[in-house]
Amino acid sequence: MKVEKSLPQGVGKFTPGWIVFIAVAMVVLIIGVLAYLYEANMGLIVTGMANIGTQGGATWGLYVVMVEYFIGVSLAGIVLVAFAHVFDIKALRAISRLALLLTTCSLMVGLLAVLIDLGTPIRGIINMILYVRPQSPFFGTFTLVAVGVLLSSLMYLYLDGRRDAAYLADIDSGLRWYHRLWAAGYGDTQAEQERHRRTMFWLSILIVPFVIVALSTEGLVFGIQVGRPGWFGALQAPDFIILAAASGLANLIVLTAIVRRVLKDDSTLIGPAVFKWLGGLLLAATAAAVYLQIVELVTMLYATPGNERLLADALLRGPYAWIFWSGLFLVVFGLTLLVTQAARRQWSLGVLIIASVAISTSVVAERYLTVIPSQTHGMMLPYEPGSYFPTWVEFAVVAGMFALGALLIGLFMKVFPIIPLDGKRAEQEVLVDA
Amino acid sequence: MTRYAMAVDLDLCQGCRGCMVACKVENNTVEGNFWMYVFRFEAGTYPDTKITFLPRPCQHCDNAPCVKVCPVGARFKREDGLVLTDADRCIGCRYCELACPYGVNYFNWQKPEKAQYAIVDWRDESIESVTGGLIPPYKNPDLDELWGDEQRRTAGGGHAKGVMEKCTFCVHRVEKGLEPACVDSCPTNALVFGDLDDPDTPMSRYLRENRTWQLLEEAGTRPRVYYVGGTPPTRHQTEIERPKATV
Repeated sequence: MKVEKSLPQGVGKFTPGWIVFIAVAMVVLIIGVLAYLYEANMGLIVTGMANIGTQGGATWGLYVVMVEYFIGVSLAGIVLVAFAHVFDIKALRAISRLALLLTTCSLMVGLLAVLIDLGTPIRGIINMILYVRPQSPFFGTFTLVAVGVLLSSLMYLYLDGRRDAAYLADIDSGLRWYHRLWAAGYGDTQAEQERHRRTMFWLSILIVPFVIVALSTEGLVFGIQVGRPGWFGALQAPDFIILAAASGLANLIVLTAIVRRVLKDDSTLIGPAVFKWLGGLLLAATAAAVYLQIVELVTMLYATPGNERLLADALLRGPYAWIFWSGLFLVVFGLTLLVTQAARRQWSLGVLIIASVAISTSVVAERYLTVIPSQTHGMMLPYEPGSYFPTWVEFAVVAGMFALGALLIGLFMKVFPIIPLDGKRAEQEVLVDA
Repeated sequence: MTRYAMAVDLDLCQGCRGCMVACKVENNTVEGNFWMYVFRFEAGTYPDTKITFLPRPCQHCDNAPCVKVCPVGARFKREDGLVLTDADRCIGCRYCELACPYGVNYFNWQKPEKAQYAIVDWRDESIESVTGGLIPPYKNPDLDELWGDEQRRTAGGGHAKGVMEKCTFCVHRVEKGLEPACVDSCPTNALVFGDLDDPDTPMSRYLRENRTWQLLEEAGTRPRVYYVGGTPPTRHQTEIERPKATV
């Protein structure tokens, strides 16, 4: 019996809503690109950054904040999928591809932000290949994260979609060549399935420690600097990982909710169990993040060494106080919503989204407070305190980064199913057997 | 082996900032960048105030945090102790600036020629009729040369957009057997420069004969700049004024 099949989940179909979404993302991206070209021509002078010390500025600004944020967001997706594979959590299967896509896209955007921040980006790429020094914490960003994690997540995404690609390659469509290319000869036979399962299992086991180590270097970039009050400390790396997990899960929840709404007919594929899992994990990550924040705050308030005093004042009641207290309010607010839902054993999608947005925003604030105040108020010599505020160029470029990420995810959804086709395949097997 | 170092006698320094000017002229640094900087502190309340000075060149640390963090080896320490930046290799990540506890690094945020001191418009026709378009900015040709055994562009590299710069101990002068410009120009001989491994140099004698301290010793950077007299700066000191140029 011949099985009639068409491309699922709106793949290959361009709806008006999707076209509007892509058009808006393109416009924002183009504005970002133009702003960057202006910056490349004029130099980083068009940003709000300036030298620390006598110039009283911050030499790392919003771009580095976003590098930390985007690379952090990338952590959750890949670790979640690995976690689901190793412990065979079927409820999370529906969002495995979405999670990997979030990892890949946020990594790409984060690494792009690194290049955008460099004074000489092209020379940066060339010299990092020619003269890279493993002793520098940037080695972690440029090699472990840029090559290692990005390639692993791409490979993971590829392998994860191979079975579906084999299924789609049978369907007569304009994208057949692409699905055949993805399947690369994989036929989904019994033996191949077993090999695929084993590959994914071992890859999952290996990937978690590797990703944690690689992304910890992002925290070490700050943590090992003895000459910069506010940065030096053993908590920077774990803090980065915990905040990364919280922001990644928060973004994944919002993204899953959007995809669920967009898919309409297929929305049932993402059931309540998915959000229950994501909500529970976000609760754990946020609780850990709040715990670390309290530990840091208590240490800072109880025994502030001389050079840290100015920084503590700037954070708690100085120019950064509004960011500090708003961030703290948002994370506590988000955590309260999550705890309330968990206690009632009832997860409302709307409340979960509000909590996720609050937590994700608080992580941006936390990243900002990690990067900036130590530069303007963390000098060990008695320079006058400095200040930093991003310019429209930086805001436009960062908006472009978000647009690029959204564009990549939007485009992917039109060439490949965003939710694994396990159900479809099972349906086909039943029909073939009949 | 040569081991260069500098001594700063705070009892002799009168805060004239001649060293800052000499550095600017010698190295053609752009507006707002002070490879050599002199803090002028005021303590107390008028009329019972005390003014002190603290020259701050790059400390050319033996355990230089800026060298450690550089991802491409553009910031490096020579055998003679000079910590230099290879202008051809620097990628402009600015990590060295953040790792340094002394705040001695200056990034070129734009084309340096756009940031030269511009009290007057030097391209104005009436001014060009006098200068013939030759000045300024004056460009020291030595800055663009390759220096040392490594033959790297370390004297500022003629300045370029998007790379990091800092005090070089005037590597281009030292290589010719001269002293750094700041040392050469100091009217009170508050700055001394020389080879620590040669016991007969004024620098070695100076260190033998005086009690010295180093800036931010607690940071473990082991600086090559030794201070004589005065006291280490504290957070309670405030600068009399800030540099007006901010770029």
